[in-house]
Amino acid sequence: MTAPTRERASTAAHGRRRAPSTRLIALERRLHVRRWVYVAVPVLSVLLALAVGAVFLLLTGHNPLVVYRVMVQASFASTFGFADTLASATPLILTGLAALVSFRVKLWNIGAEGQLYIGAVLASGVALWLGELLPRPANIVAMLVAGALGGMLLVAIPALARAWLRTNEIITTLLLNAVALLFINWLIFGSRSFWRDPAAGQFPQGTRIPVAAEFPRFGTTRVHLGLVIALLAVAVVWFVLTRTRLGYRMRILGDSESAARYAGVPVRRMVLVVLLFSGALAGLAGAADVGGLSRRLDPNSLAIGMGYAGIIVAALARLNPGGVVLVAILLGGVRNAGTALQSLPERVPMEIAVMLEGAILLFALGSEVLVRYRIRWPWSAAPAVEGAGGGGPAGDDAASGPEGDLLAGGDGPDGPVGAADEREEGP
Amino acid sequence: MNDTVLALTLAAAVAAGTPLALAAIGELITERAGILNLGVEGMMLLGAVTAFLVGNATGDPWTAMLAGSAAGASLALAHAFASISLRANQIVSGLALVIFGTGLSTFLGRPVEGMPLPREARIPRVAITYLSDLPLIGRMLFTQDVVVYASWILAAATAFYLFRTRPGLSLRSVGESPATADVMGLRVNAIRYAHTIIGGVLCGGAGAYLMLARVPAWSQAATTNGIGFIAIALVVFASWKPWRALLGAYIFGLALRANFALQGAGVTFIPAEFLAMTPYLLTILVLVALSFSDLRKRAGAPEALGVPYAREER
Repeated sequence: MTAPTRERASTAAHGRRRAPSTRLIALERRLHVRRWVYVAVPVLSVLLALAVGAVFLLLTGHNPLVVYRVMVQASFASTFGFADTLASATPLILTGLAALVSFRVKLWNIGAEGQLYIGAVLASGVALWLGELLPRPANIVAMLVAGALGGMLLVAIPALARAWLRTNEIITTLLLNAVALLFINWLIFGSRSFWRDPAAGQFPQGTRIPVAAEFPRFGTTRVHLGLVIALLAVAVVWFVLTRTRLGYRMRILGDSESAARYAGVPVRRMVLVVLLFSGALAGLAGAADVGGLSRRLDPNSLAIGMGYAGIIVAALARLNPGGVVLVAILLGGVRNAGTALQSLPERVPMEIAVMLEGAILLFALGSEVLVRYRIRWPWSAAPAVEGAGGGGPAGDDAASGPEGDLLAGGDGPDGPVGAADEREEGP
Repeated sequence: MNDTVLALTLAAAVAAGTPLALAAIGELITERAGILNLGVEGMMLLGAVTAFLVGNATGDPWTAMLAGSAAGASLALAHAFASISLRANQIVSGLALVIFGTGLSTFLGRPVEGMPLPREARIPRVAITYLSDLPLIGRMLFTQDVVVYASWILAAATAFYLFRTRPGLSLRSVGESPATADVMGLRVNAIRYAHTIIGGVLCGGAGAYLMLARVPAWSQAATTNGIGFIAIALVVFASWKPWRALLGAYIFGLALRANFALQGAGVTFIPAEFLAMTPYLLTILVLVALSFSDLRKRAGAPEALGVPYAREER
């Protein structure tokens, strides 16, 4: 393939004649990936993202070294700071799992954001409704179930359409995020709904849930039961993926839909189940936020991109459940540090954290190429024969391990937007 | 609702629809090359904040507009590099642009958050003589600013380019079947790069226009407010056709403005939030309808949309 060689848009667009193929670099598929590459690539992308952040910090007159030191201090160097980091990481673990589950089967549920909101709506609704009557354990279970149901409810529309009509789920899940946000805004700011605190005067807010429905916190920290639930969810997802028939079928389906069909996997039902599972995990994140942190339906504290961040978490973790925990803690730390930065005398805008998140994701994605391919420089000994090393069927390629290749675009979304039928790709 | 209210509402719908139309046509061009760039919102935000900063410094709206377009193009270039050269996942890369663009624009815009743009840096309105005196239509279409008129030329030019010129044919073939296009001697990756960047120029320009003509002050939360996502929806809604994208933008623009008109008319039983949902819900309906195979054939989604092309692996 041609890396961005010199391209001249005008002649390229006319494209009557191909210029002699001058390749700056060529990519060769790696046949074997050494273990350290899997660690080195995410670390490298974080470092590169920090470098980009440093450029903008310098441009705006801040000292990047000071800023980064404060971030580390605030998020990782003290017990309380780390506890806050864990609290911020809790929803990210769950939304990361939500993305992971669906991405594994090449279903692109990018609606964890909205599913989280609706999970929070149902969980807070149940807490307000039954909270006074039930003991705490029953309340917590009820809220978790409601949260998961809420997430499933929102994803059900794209899931059904995807399973039976092959409607592209990327756009539908993305658009429902906006719908869900408008909906919770309406519940709190636009109406006198059941969720809105009737006592609140000028500044509308959600009614506080009863004490008996609050998730217990650990000591005086902000870490709450949600973290335990998130870790349990990691275990469950790992178990399902590696030890059950469902997980086995997901693997087949993720590798090739036609293979799955020939093997007798009920593809439609699987699509539905996987998307509902994904939505339930995102909904749990909403329930955990209501029960453990905000304790009311609060659009402002919910709509901070926890669902989108889940996609970063899953991508950086290379769709590995264990990796999700580590990456979520890292990102939780970055987000947590944003607030600490504002208290600096020079007032560094906290959005540096969001920017770093995006940059980390971009670099993680870009450096994926280093895992899958070896770069062949033009001056290196062996000439890069066209197609050398590539072309092997993905199946016997060690580089496409169980999770390796899934974030590669090579396996792209399932079919064109708006219409997905028997997508044809490959020989 | 009397005539003036109607005329004002329609004029407002056209005005609100214009940034949508610019972004949607940009995304449409990108998608026609087979590249799905979900980062429209990020490109628009960065375009808007760049336009504000440059407009504030120079006082010239057109320099600001150019700067905003360039900012959008630079983000699109990152997307093109990741998804074309590195064959990364386009969905994740596009979302990375949204997150990065939101963070960066808020970061850059923090010192000027809420600050109004100087008067001379705003894009002025130009009423077209004679035409603007037409009843209803005149108010609606011909009392706008230059960018609105330019957007019509853009739609026409895009339609002509796509369906009546050789490069347009090349572009469409790259989006439909890159392997075939490659065999025909087209430079698939170069064409994809060029049109992803053109898409970025238009999306950044849409954000800049929003800043320079529509909103009074830079505010991260209120400047684009999800318009980038509506633009993505609009491309599907318009089934990848420029004229339909323009028309659809006005329909969606009406939906965005209708709550003011309805409130003015004393209609309050439809909450503003529900009206704001209509563009999204309409698009989902259209998507589902398109999934019935008969309609799909006529819809025109590029066949290779979102699928990277690797010559060695075709």
